[in-house]
Amino acid sequence: MKGARPLVLACGSLLLAALSLWVGPSLHGAAGDFVLLQLRLPRLLVGGLVGATLGISGAAFQAVFNNALATPSTVGTTAGATLGALLVLALDASGGVLGVSLLTAAAFTGALLTTLLVSGLAASGRLSKNDVLLAGIAVTLAASALASGVQFASDARALVAATQWSLGQLPQVGYRGVLLIGPFAATTLLGLLALGRPLQNLALGEELATTQGVNVPRLRFLVLLVASLGVAACVAWCGPIAFVGLIVPNLVRLLVGPQLRALLPLSFLGGAVFLVICDTVARVALPGRELPVGVITAALGAPALVFLVSRAHRE
Amino acid sequence: MSVVRRGRTLLDGVSLSLEPGALLALVGPNGAGKTTLLRCALGLLTPSHGAVRLGERRLRELSARERAARLAWLPQHGARTEDLSAVDVVQSARYRFDEPAAHSEREARRALERVGVAAVADRPLGTLSGGERQRVSLAGLLAQDAPVLLVDEPANHLDPAQQIDVYRLLGTLWREGRSVMCVTHDVNLLRHLGAPGSVRVAGVARGQLRFECAFSDPELPRQLGELFGVQMRALSIGETRVLIPEPTA
Repeated sequence: MKGARPLVLACGSLLLAALSLWVGPSLHGAAGDFVLLQLRLPRLLVGGLVGATLGISGAAFQAVFNNALATPSTVGTTAGATLGALLVLALDASGGVLGVSLLTAAAFTGALLTTLLVSGLAASGRLSKNDVLLAGIAVTLAASALASGVQFASDARALVAATQWSLGQLPQVGYRGVLLIGPFAATTLLGLLALGRPLQNLALGEELATTQGVNVPRLRFLVLLVASLGVAACVAWCGPIAFVGLIVPNLVRLLVGPQLRALLPLSFLGGAVFLVICDTVARVALPGRELPVGVITAALGAPALVFLVSRAHRE
Repeated sequence: MSVVRRGRTLLDGVSLSLEPGALLALVGPNGAGKTTLLRCALGLLTPSHGAVRLGERRLRELSARERAARLAWLPQHGARTEDLSAVDVVQSARYRFDEPAAHSEREARRALERVGVAAVADRPLGTLSGGERQRVSLAGLLAQDAPVLLVDEPANHLDPAQQIDVYRLLGTLWREGRSVMCVTHDVNLLRHLGAPGSVRVAGVARGQLRFECAFSDPELPRQLGELFGVQMRALSIGETRVLIPEPTA
């Protein structure tokens, strides 16, 4: 029974996510096919990839810091992306690099720079995991402060655009997003699954893990890098989508336990389903206009987490 | 080797060797540097002067995995997890082997069986008693399958029956051919390891090695008395010698 539980959860939630394709105005004829195949399906796929990447990265970050409050943004990835994006918005720069907009390219660069800074510090091996966490918070604060400075200097139009960007949204762009995010999401998924075993050793304490053969500084560096590659691509493309990376791994842990060989893949799957459902709600909640999906993830995810935590303590 | 941290000398020119198949008990008052010595031997701490050698090679030259193939550690506080199951914890000790997860799980269950806690294999560590937890840690040592065991206060916080159990198990592992270095401040437990003539005792105080002798050495009570700053009286109960600390006059 215990072994079947993850499988049942996985199949059920995937079915739920697939059903969300038919939520919304009813579809008829050729126009209906177009909406289904060219609008809703690619958006579902992008949402799935983004949610999955945030979910599994959150689980990996929580394992590497041995802290259930760690998120994919803990090492400054999101703050770096925001700084890059706001710079482009404030400068009103347009154009593109390698087929993506300048906005996306700048956000991706910002995310990678902050991540490299913090994971480079972690690789040196002289810092404890709490030092790395603190360095991540410091980089986040610094990048946010710079971003505020940029916002202060920008005009009203750029401010509105910046606010919209910072709420996070799955853009309506056909299959290009799938092609752009796909490789990064795959790298994150495969990389983190490959690092699952040594990550599990970390739960016993870093020193015990070291004596069991784990090179802890190198593991930290690899996990931060591999996870952040995917997160950077997601944030650059969709803006910061809050809460997925925090809530999904914690929900999955409450449902199936702390074993990483179940937790990592199910956080990937769970993140995908969670974000797709949230995006469906965002699509249809208000008649005639869409809500940013970031608003829904927090509004739906937070009560779910509180409910599960209180239930877990009763058991 | 010596260890200086933040101006404090934790180890001061200690030279010690553990022969293959030997059992060395490291005794001394709290804060004497026993655990520091163990952590140096494991490579968790780099000595300020001197070096740790494993046979011909310096410990520093070995990768973490190579070290894990030679040295296994029983930390004073065990695994720092409450919610992983006993079998998960023991399975982690198999990390140094390149093997499928199913195989390491089998080995982990075998190790748990050997130390007599197979019945709690699937329970979260946090729900086990102190004695069961220590047995799970010992199963981890078995599963890692290293020839040298470095053991830190294995009987801390256990009741007398559990203390004897743990020391007996450790004695079994030693007699199977492993080398054991065991940090303790309760010398009387050493007799449960078996074969008292071949157990050696090294006394550490204030970061220095004060003596090294056989457990059966008639001089041991006097040496230990000086080490701890007490009078050690030796009582013989049948074949076994028991040491009782008394205040100095």
